[in-house]
Amino acid sequence: MSREHWVVIGNGPAGNAAAVTLRKFVTDARITLIGEENIPEYRCNLLPDFIAGALREEDLFCTPIQRFREMDIKLRLGQKVTDVAFERGELKLAHNEVVRFTGMIIACGSTPSIPERLGMFRDLMLPLKTLGDAKRWIEKLARVDSVFVAGGDLTSLCFTRALLALRKRVMFMLCPDSFWPIPLSSEVRRSCSARLEERGVEVLDCAKIENLTRLSEDSVEVKTDAGSLVVGAVGAFFGLVPNVRFLARTGLDLERGILVDEYLRTCVENVYAAGDCAQVYHPGIRAYWVSIGCPNATEQGRIAAMNLMGGSLSLDVPQENIFEVDGIKVNTSWWMEL
Amino acid sequence: MKTPGKVLADKVRAIGEAKIFEVRSESLPTWCPGCGYFGIHQGLNACIKELGMPLHKVVTVSGIGCAGRYPFFTRTYGLHTVHGRTLPVATGVKMANPDLTVFAVGGDGDGLAIGGGHLPHVARRNVNINYLLFDNSIYGLTKGQPSPSSPLGMTSKASPYGTLDKPLNATLMALTYGASFVARLFAGDPKGITNALLEGARHPGFSIFHIYTSCVTFDKSFKTWEHLKEWVHPLPKDHDPTDLRQAFDQVLQDDFSVGVIYKRG
Amino acid sequence: MPGVDVTVEVCGMAGDGTIAAGGMINDAMSHGGFSVLGFDSYPAEIRGFGRCVTRSRVGDREIRALDEATHVLISLNDEESKSRVPVLTRDCVVLFDSNPPVLVEEDRSLVAILDPETRLFPMPFGDLAAAAAGTQRGRNLVALGGFAAVCGADPELFREAIRAKFKAKSQSVLQANLKSFDAGYAYALEKFHDRLLTMFASADLPKGPEKVMLSGNMAIGKAALDAGLKLYFGYPITPATPIMEYLARELPKRGGAVVQMEDEISSIGAVLGASYAGKRAMTATSGPGFALMTELITHGVMAEIPAVILNAQRGGPSTGLPTKTEQSDLHAAVFGGPGDSYRIVIAPTNVTECYYYTVKSFQLAEKYQTPVIVLTDFYLDNRVENVPMPEAREEDVRDGNIYPNVSAGEPYKRYLRTESGISPRSIPGQAGLQFTATGLEHTERGKPDYSARNHMEMSAKRFRKIQGALADLPEPEEYAPDGPLSVGVIGWGSTFGSALEAVLAARERGLRVGALKITSLYPYHEAAIRKFTSRCEEVLIPELNYSGQLISLIGRLCRKEAIPLNLATGEPFPPSLIRKKIEELAEAGAQ
Repeated sequence: MSREHWVVIGNGPAGNAAAVTLRKFVTDARITLIGEENIPEYRCNLLPDFIAGALREEDLFCTPIQRFREMDIKLRLGQKVTDVAFERGELKLAHNEVVRFTGMIIACGSTPSIPERLGMFRDLMLPLKTLGDAKRWIEKLARVDSVFVAGGDLTSLCFTRALLALRKRVMFMLCPDSFWPIPLSSEVRRSCSARLEERGVEVLDCAKIENLTRLSEDSVEVKTDAGSLVVGAVGAFFGLVPNVRFLARTGLDLERGILVDEYLRTCVENVYAAGDCAQVYHPGIRAYWVSIGCPNATEQGRIAAMNLMGGSLSLDVPQENIFEVDGIKVNTSWWMEL
Repeated sequence: MKTPGKVLADKVRAIGEAKIFEVRSESLPTWCPGCGYFGIHQGLNACIKELGMPLHKVVTVSGIGCAGRYPFFTRTYGLHTVHGRTLPVATGVKMANPDLTVFAVGGDGDGLAIGGGHLPHVARRNVNINYLLFDNSIYGLTKGQPSPSSPLGMTSKASPYGTLDKPLNATLMALTYGASFVARLFAGDPKGITNALLEGARHPGFSIFHIYTSCVTFDKSFKTWEHLKEWVHPLPKDHDPTDLRQAFDQVLQDDFSVGVIYKRG
Repeated sequence: MPGVDVTVEVCGMAGDGTIAAGGMINDAMSHGGFSVLGFDSYPAEIRGFGRCVTRSRVGDREIRALDEATHVLISLNDEESKSRVPVLTRDCVVLFDSNPPVLVEEDRSLVAILDPETRLFPMPFGDLAAAAAGTQRGRNLVALGGFAAVCGADPELFREAIRAKFKAKSQSVLQANLKSFDAGYAYALEKFHDRLLTMFASADLPKGPEKVMLSGNMAIGKAALDAGLKLYFGYPITPATPIMEYLARELPKRGGAVVQMEDEISSIGAVLGASYAGKRAMTATSGPGFALMTELITHGVMAEIPAVILNAQRGGPSTGLPTKTEQSDLHAAVFGGPGDSYRIVIAPTNVTECYYYTVKSFQLAEKYQTPVIVLTDFYLDNRVENVPMPEAREEDVRDGNIYPNVSAGEPYKRYLRTESGISPRSIPGQAGLQFTATGLEHTERGKPDYSARNHMEMSAKRFRKIQGALADLPEPEEYAPDGPLSVGVIGWGSTFGSALEAVLAARERGLRVGALKITSLYPYHEAAIRKFTSRCEEVLIPELNYSGQLISLIGRLCRKEAIPLNLATGEPFPPSLIRKKIEELAEAGAQ
């Protein structure tokens, strides 16, 4: 096959931006966009609003599938890449299919992390990353009045706002885990707590969960280092981990995420990474960093695509990558290795 | 002294005594004067009479050709079918009502050419029907074309330079196909025909009677009465019709021995 | 549209258990009270590796045809299933094997070419079967379990169908199959818990008599038995062979016999012989065999001998498309053969009619002393419908013969020229009534006669006789509102079901349209057809043939030229094509 076949792994903002950018400039290459979820791209940053009832489900979706047909981008939803052989230009899908490619952009995103010591309580905690998670929350919130939010990451703050809008009682535990790499200083803790309490959130004076016990379908006893309480549901907001496990033995340089230079190039020719899964070298700080958030991801997807087509755009980032969310300044690169 | 009048009177008396009109219908056969089919007709009529079968329990099935007209000349039930299909139709009749005695009649064109594909199957199926193959080695009704049993090199209007195809031997074919009763007969010997038919009709299975006969109108050189009378002779006295190997040997050695050649015990 | 109307396909290679799986879907859903119409297709070539596809349309209303769109695809072999992609709806549910034994290249992958809106349900069919029952053979049952769970069908219906299917096998085989099914069901329920569908929940199931799954061919076979068939003569040919195979098993139990003849000529010959001798006999064939029978069929016409001939049409001419459906033998059935050889031709339109018309054909053949041709097609023969078990009434099976009543001394005239054209017929074995049946033109007494007057009179007698059969033949049925119609659709055979679905759909959209079903194709009810066409602005005649064979037969009965809609695709007529044409015509008429 003489034709280029570019494969984009990941159907989030970075992957979609990458695929659309590729098609925008090159009409005759094959472009395949592979996404693990069974649904087309949606705005995950709007999920808290969806939970709050401020948006309908259909408002979440970004690009109608018809657009992909028109753009001749092969959209493969509900399919999972399980292995890549870069030297042969082959990837393997979970259902034992082999797809050959000539270039790749990896934008496989991230997953909510659960601290290892809480792994055994995984089933008693709900994260919020996908539309499926949001739907589970909606179902849950129809039945419970109180939610224990363990976290401090960007999503937890937006989610808390949604809970308040639904007039739920919110108990918040600021977890140092979620604030990596900056320490959860007493200053940050204070400003965060003040802000949350101002809005009616009960910020608990505790630092870790010791035990979770299911009392009934809709009540959980939470035992913290500062005592026990009973809530309707527990939310897990400990940050995100890149979905790079399937690349572990492919020869790609990995650390927390996929290591790329400022041009988003991986160590393999014609293979780029973008979005949550990429750990980008920052020449300014001479270190790798990771970003989250839709705008960042979209921009990275675009840059990776341009560079795959022969460009040399570098990621332009401020040294301090600070977001202001709901009046609280947080660092957007706080994920951690578990 | 035999005056012509006395000869005729004798003949009329003989016919009367033979009671041939008991089986034979009033319709005058359409065959040419001198045709060998009259002899076969006489032989079959005598057989039916001898068998004592009521005529409404006998069915005569035919195809197309001079022999095809046969059912019109008998008082049995008749079924004059299309060209070549005598045997399958007769099979249907017999299977539908095994109480009926079924005679299938047809010529060499009907049975060896257009209908040749049915003979092996009716033989191996061994349905209890009696097939009289009138073999005059010519197409008579269409006025003298060569048939599958015509001799090599026969000239006719349809084969002005002589035929190129070798003749078929119906008796040998019947043996090969596994027919359970095979007789070779001569139209000039109605008595012989009757005897063989009686034996074959009583045989519980497919019986074929390969009957040499003459077409007096279109064949002036091959199966003429003169030739047939000269060629035809009885089977050797020691011929054992229950021995298939002997039957084959006999047919391979001798084209003109007549009688019951094979009969499966 | 409210209610349930789901088309499910199973696709695999021969040996994957495809046909078995499709059959169990039919059985289970039928048992659940749904209407079911199933149709399988398989290759003409027996290499052991052909593609098999079963299609089942399941609904809570009467189903008269297959529709093109498939809502659920169960893929037992992805490469074969690729051929099905064009008929899948965009949001089709696709269950496929997520762990095939060998890696699949992208260009051979089903999933690679599916629309992104397709709802994918990957399941390790083989692994689950092996884990549940120790063998991968039950992977088709795992897939069925997945189907039941994903689409929301009652698993107990499937377990019942499995028990029924394997009841003759050993207990261990039955248990292995049940375990495989349950493994698939449990896996899908858990794995896809957040995406399970309820495709059958809104069913408003009609109450009615218990139904059985019956194919057209089985209905014909059963009809022949119930009609008192004594002899079947046939020669193997697709798609009629299953009738012979069914009768070979069943007929001897009732004192009859099946004889596999050396060809179709001998088959019809033996049928004529047996019918002449007074027994009910039949043969079934398809186009090429029917062509061989032509001469003897006309012999039956001339000699006035009953015969029942089933022509299961397939794609033609010549060997044509042996495993595809077509309606292109109509002219051969009605007109085929030398001379003015009028005979009765009837064409059922569904499985139930296959039964009743076959039963009826024996009596018609006897009464009118003629070959009766029952014209079906591959689609009608091989499709299964769940129907109340058809049972012949006594008056449908009783002897149709009219026997002579001749006083002694009076010569019996077998071919007596009566007013009806029917001459009382004697049967061999009846004393004093001997005659010779002949294919030559003949006198009343059956003697050959080629005179001008005789041929004219006998031709008239035979014509009169067949026209008279109209009194005993099913009348055309109207499915139309009273008053003028903008479009009237006339359908026959398997296409009628598609036509009626199209008409009903068009009526739901407010169009004044109607359908006319014609099952008596020769002779046909002129007055009834004219009555219908006279109130139609346009008459549309859809047929599965290229030339429009019904239109050239009855087109003259329309006020203005009828509009043909012909398909020669080898596939069943899609109702939506007819509906589009109806709408187009109605719209043009309204302007």
